[in-house]
Amino acid sequence: MLNHLSIEELHQKLIKKEITVEDLVNESIKLSKELQDSCNAFDFIIENPKNYGVTDNLLSGIPYGVKANYSTKNILSSGSSNTLKDYVPFFDATAIKKLNDAHAIIVNKTAMDEFGMGGTGTTCRTGTVKNPWDNTRMTAGSSAGSACAVAYGVYPYALGTDTGDSIRKPAAYCGIVGYKPTYGMISRYGVFPFASSLDHCGVLTRNVKDAAIVVDNMKGIDENDMTTWNSSNINLYKSITGEVNNKKLCYIKEICDISNYDNPSDELVSHLNNFKEKIELIRSNGIEVDEVSIDKKLLNTVASVYVVLSCAEATSNMSNLTGIIFGPKGEGEGVFDQIKDHRTKGFSPLIKRRFVIGSYVLQRENQERYFKNAQRVRRLIVDEWDKLFKKYDGVILPVGSGPAKKLDDDSNTLANGTTILEEHLQIGNFGGFPSITIPDGFINNLPVGLNITGKRYDDANVLNIAYKIESLMDYKNQIAERK
Amino acid sequence: MSKFTKEMVDSYADKLLIGLTDEENKMVLDEFDVIDKDIDIINTIDGIENIKPMTHALDYQVIENLRDDIPSISPNIDDLLSNAKSKIGREIEVPKVVGETNA
Repeated sequence: MLNHLSIEELHQKLIKKEITVEDLVNESIKLSKELQDSCNAFDFIIENPKNYGVTDNLLSGIPYGVKANYSTKNILSSGSSNTLKDYVPFFDATAIKKLNDAHAIIVNKTAMDEFGMGGTGTTCRTGTVKNPWDNTRMTAGSSAGSACAVAYGVYPYALGTDTGDSIRKPAAYCGIVGYKPTYGMISRYGVFPFASSLDHCGVLTRNVKDAAIVVDNMKGIDENDMTTWNSSNINLYKSITGEVNNKKLCYIKEICDISNYDNPSDELVSHLNNFKEKIELIRSNGIEVDEVSIDKKLLNTVASVYVVLSCAEATSNMSNLTGIIFGPKGEGEGVFDQIKDHRTKGFSPLIKRRFVIGSYVLQRENQERYFKNAQRVRRLIVDEWDKLFKKYDGVILPVGSGPAKKLDDDSNTLANGTTILEEHLQIGNFGGFPSITIPDGFINNLPVGLNITGKRYDDANVLNIAYKIESLMDYKNQIAERK
Repeated sequence: MSKFTKEMVDSYADKLLIGLTDEENKMVLDEFDVIDKDIDIINTIDGIENIKPMTHALDYQVIENLRDDIPSISPNIDDLLSNAKSKIGREIEVPKVVGETNA
C-alpha cells in the first residue's frame, strides 16, 4: 500500500523513481472501487486520469479526490444532486486549475450532501456515505466522501468545501485532518455556491503538513472571485516549524464543561474528558491554555443564525437550477410547470425544506425579525471571537458531542436540544476564521477530534500550533481500521 | 399553537417552484417552530436593533482585485450549449413563456 504515505514521502519516492505515477493511480482507483462497494464514497470514479508527469512540485504525480461541487472540465460535476446528474462543465474551477498546474491527478469526484446542504453524508444523489471505521455510523457531511476516502487511504488528500462545518466535522468523525483557511484565501470560482457569505474551500488530509502543502497550491488572488485576497506572502508549508514559544490558546467553559449538559451520554462524558486530558498535555508542552467564558445566550443562537442565513442565501443561489439551460428537463405544459417538475423531482426533501425556510425569512414582512436579526447576531458573535483573538492565538474546542453518530440518527433536522457543542464550528464561517480539526483520540474504538480556530489571515500560526499538538499525540497519518 | 400553517408553507414552496409532500411540509413546520423560538431569544438581546447587520465574513475587506475593463474572449457557444437538453442551432429551445398564466 502506497497511498497511506504523506505527500512528502510520496514525492520523495517518485523523485527517486522508487515508485511510478501509474503505481499510485492504479492503487488509488483500486481502493476507490473497494471503498465504493463498502462505503459508497464516490459520485464518479475516473478510469483513465491524465498523468502530467512529476516535477519539483510536491503534489505532482500524486492522486487526489475532488468534492462533487467543484467544476472539473469534461468530468461529471453533479454537486451530488439529481438536478445536475449529467452536468459536465466546460471549464475548471480556479482551485482545480491550480492543482492541474501543479500536476496533481484527479482520480474521483467524492459524494457529498446535496449541494453541501446537509451535515450527515446521507443526502447524496448516490446514497448514504458510510463511515470507514464503522459502516453503521455516518461520516458527517457535507464533505462526506472526501473524508471517507482520505481516512481509507485512497490518496493523501481530497478537496472539500465548508459552509458550516462541512470539512471539519467529517474530518473528526473519520479520524483525519480538515482545514478551512481564512475566507477568500482560496478562490471559489467554479465551485457551486451554497451560502456565499459563508462558503469556503479547503482540504482533508491525514496530517497537518499535508494540509499546508495542498492549500499553498490552491490559494491565491483570482480576478474571477472578488472575495479573494493576495496571500503571496504566506507560505504555509515553510511556516510549519513546531515552534510554539509564547503561544496562547483558550477554550470556552460554556461549551466544554460537562455541567452544561443535562443527562450527558457516556460518549459525551468520554469526549469531554478526553479533550480536558489533551488540554493538560498541551499545557505541559509549552502552550498556555486558559478557560474563558462567553454569554451562553449568545452561544445558543448560533444554530438558528446559521440556518436563517444559509437557507436565505441558498434559496437565492440555487434559483438558476431550472432544468432549462442544464440538468434534466422537467415535464409539463409550460415553462413554469417544467421548472417546478424539475425542482420537485430533482431536489432531496432536505434541501427543499431549507429553500422554503430561506424564502420565508427573506419575505419583506419577515426580513427584519429573521434575516436582519440573524445578521446582527452574527456580528455580535464574531466580535466576541475577535476579542479573544486579541489575547489568544486560537480557540481550541472539541468537535461535536462525541464520535460519529449512528446512521439512523437524523441530525439534519434542527431539533430542540441541539447543543452549541454540535454547532460551534459555524462561528468559523461567520467570521471567515482559519480553522482546523485534528484527531485527538478514540471513544468506543471510533475517532474523535479537536478544533483550533484563529484570527483571519493568521493561517500559518494556526497550522503551526495544530502541527505541534498533532506531534504530541499518536493519531497522525492513521488509516481507518474497519470494524 | 404554532403561527405557521400548512397552507403558508405550501405557498412559500410554490413561489420557489417547488412541490412538497405532506411529510416534507410537516418537517418545515416543525423547523419553523424551533427557529422562531430561537429568534425570540435573539430579540431579547439588548440593543439588537442598533447592531449593523453583518452580511459577509470579511465585511470590512477592501476589494483589491476588481477586473480592468478589458474585453475577454467569451466561452465557445457549442461549449455553453453542451449541457442543454433541447437546442435549435445556436439557441436553447424553451417552451412558450409569453401568455403563461403564472408568469
